[in-house]
Amino acid sequence: MAQIIWDGLFVGSFYALIALGYSMVYGIIKLLNFAHGDIYMVGAFIGYTILTSLGGSFQALGLFALILVMMVSMLLTGTIGVIVEKLAYRPLRGAPRLAVLITAVGASFALEYGVAAIASPNPRGFPVRLDGETVFVLGARVTVPQIILMLIAGVLMFALDRYIRKTSTGRAMRAISLDMKGSLLMGVNVNSVISRTFFIGSALAGAAGVMAGAYYGKIDFLMGFIIGLKAFTAAVIGGIGNIRGAMLGGLLLGLVEAFGSELVGGQWRDAFAFAVLILFLTLRPTGILGERVTERV
Amino acid sequence: MNFRKRTLGMLGIATAVILATSACSGGLLGGDSGGGDDSGPIKIGMIVPTSGSSAPTGASMANGAQMAVDEINAAGGILDGRMLELQIEDGACDAQQAVASANKLVSSGIVASVGGYCSGATLPTLPIFNKAGVPMIIPAANSQDLVKEGLKNVFLINGTGLQQSTAALDFIKKQGYKAIALVDDNTSYSVDITTETGSQIAADGSATVALDTSVNAGESDYSSVVRDIMGSGADLLYWTGYYQEGGLIIDQLKKAGYTGDIMVADGSADSTLAEIAGAAAEGVYATMTPTPNTIKGAEGWIADYKAAFGEDPKPYSTQSYDAVRLAAAAFTAAGNTNTDDVIAALEAISGFDAFSGPLSFTPEHTLASGGFVILVMKDGDFVLFDNLQ
Repeated sequence: MAQIIWDGLFVGSFYALIALGYSMVYGIIKLLNFAHGDIYMVGAFIGYTILTSLGGSFQALGLFALILVMMVSMLLTGTIGVIVEKLAYRPLRGAPRLAVLITAVGASFALEYGVAAIASPNPRGFPVRLDGETVFVLGARVTVPQIILMLIAGVLMFALDRYIRKTSTGRAMRAISLDMKGSLLMGVNVNSVISRTFFIGSALAGAAGVMAGAYYGKIDFLMGFIIGLKAFTAAVIGGIGNIRGAMLGGLLLGLVEAFGSELVGGQWRDAFAFAVLILFLTLRPTGILGERVTERV
Repeated sequence: MNFRKRTLGMLGIATAVILATSACSGGLLGGDSGGGDDSGPIKIGMIVPTSGSSAPTGASMANGAQMAVDEINAAGGILDGRMLELQIEDGACDAQQAVASANKLVSSGIVASVGGYCSGATLPTLPIFNKAGVPMIIPAANSQDLVKEGLKNVFLINGTGLQQSTAALDFIKKQGYKAIALVDDNTSYSVDITTETGSQIAADGSATVALDTSVNAGESDYSSVVRDIMGSGADLLYWTGYYQEGGLIIDQLKKAGYTGDIMVADGSADSTLAEIAGAAAEGVYATMTPTPNTIKGAEGWIADYKAAFGEDPKPYSTQSYDAVRLAAAAFTAAGNTNTDDVIAALEAISGFDAFSGPLSFTPEHTLASGGFVILVMKDGDFVLFDNLQ
């Protein structure tokens, strides 16, 4: 039992980190950024490239090297997120919602097959592996790397939460999500705030990518696809547009999956998890923390 | 298909007699004209995944086939100096993509197909090639489903799922395993092997199936199946999916403290498995047809391959190479590229010198001798462990 809960929370924290980016972007410009999962993949590849090029002595630093690389990778994926927004989404800001949705799908494929073309479609083994002691907590097998990764995820999410709630940029983000035109009239630099949103969301996905590479040990150019869908699901469960909701949704999806595979067998895990999702959204369409949006005419 | 080919033959005669008519008929029949053309290059098609997660294997298969084509052409071609021309199309391990590619190949006039890696993507292409009268020599895909319908144009030169599970059972009995966990990835190829192995274990009775479950491919976290395996008390895990997920499952299983043995099927018998699973892959067994580095006397071939493509051959490079050579041998024996003659020639082939040993076909068009061996992972590479003789 404790093992199931722990496994669920661990996977859930990855979902949560990625779901944040989905939720932030949707909250601000009502765009489902399908390229977001691929930013996670790009983050893993950037981490891989840096670690391989710096060589063995740097890799020997282990966790320290990993955190350093994760930060560089966050900067770069953040920048890529901003570029994607500038090239693929900003020119279409006034266009119908569907058009932007399709450019998002396009951006996703461009990133996937761009990486496949540059780095070859072969899966790669990550050069730094987090191996560590196993400890037992209430009967659950917990490894030290898992604890470290969950701590990192927790710190990042906490920092983001503070940033959104306490800084002026955070306030601007919340203002834009309420009413973009109104914010513009009030003197908020909408474009720069949106860029910043993409930067932060993509940086978090990049961090998750490096962490996944180091923990699972395998990266490939399609690794962002399924986890992107799952993170999107998590964002919807939590109430899309709501930051704390995305975190909760990620953890909840991880738990539902873990219990689902225990109850009905591994091959039914996704069927079970998504059936729960359908049921949940029927009963509560706005998600856990989503607020009912009144239609403005 | 009989009728079509004969029509084509008559069209050939018509071509010689009335030029204008032939131009018209050629247009009506589209690309099919390649089959009736007796001079130009002999086109053979190959559907392998060149995109998607199996793309690396697809590339190595295409290389193997290209190598055979180049060698045959350098030696002066076949059927009075006609050159072979290989056309590679992407199957992406995806049924829809493979069907589109099959139609494309048929319309560009191929006279034989030497592709097929993922069984799930190869299966829907069978009726297309069958209707067009294209003999298929399938180098890697080996689900029993491929030969179930008994289509005359389908030949498998990889051991089948049935032969593979027989090898698995032999090894289980030899090593004295008692409780077997069977895990597949829900693809046609993979389920085929677990189902066969499961029923063979049950019929044999010397071991029991402790767990029979599936996972979804393409994910990173397999903690749920790891829990299931640990809870089942199995002393051998037999994973029948591909190496991408296999590597992750092995790594996560060992991290969770699994002490039993692990065996993988041929879809995972690739050195990439060790890159993904790291040290956890050491000592993993595999049921596999002989690979380049387990075949005696293949060193020269491996060197040639490396010189041509700058990388080591992968497990199915040899079989793709053999598929092209086999097609060429069948054309030569038949004396032409007509469907029925080529199929008859393939059925009659006996003792063809392939990497997997002397090759001939059963009436079901599968290999007469399965040739599965047991490999073991040693220092990051699969080496021969037991040839089950």
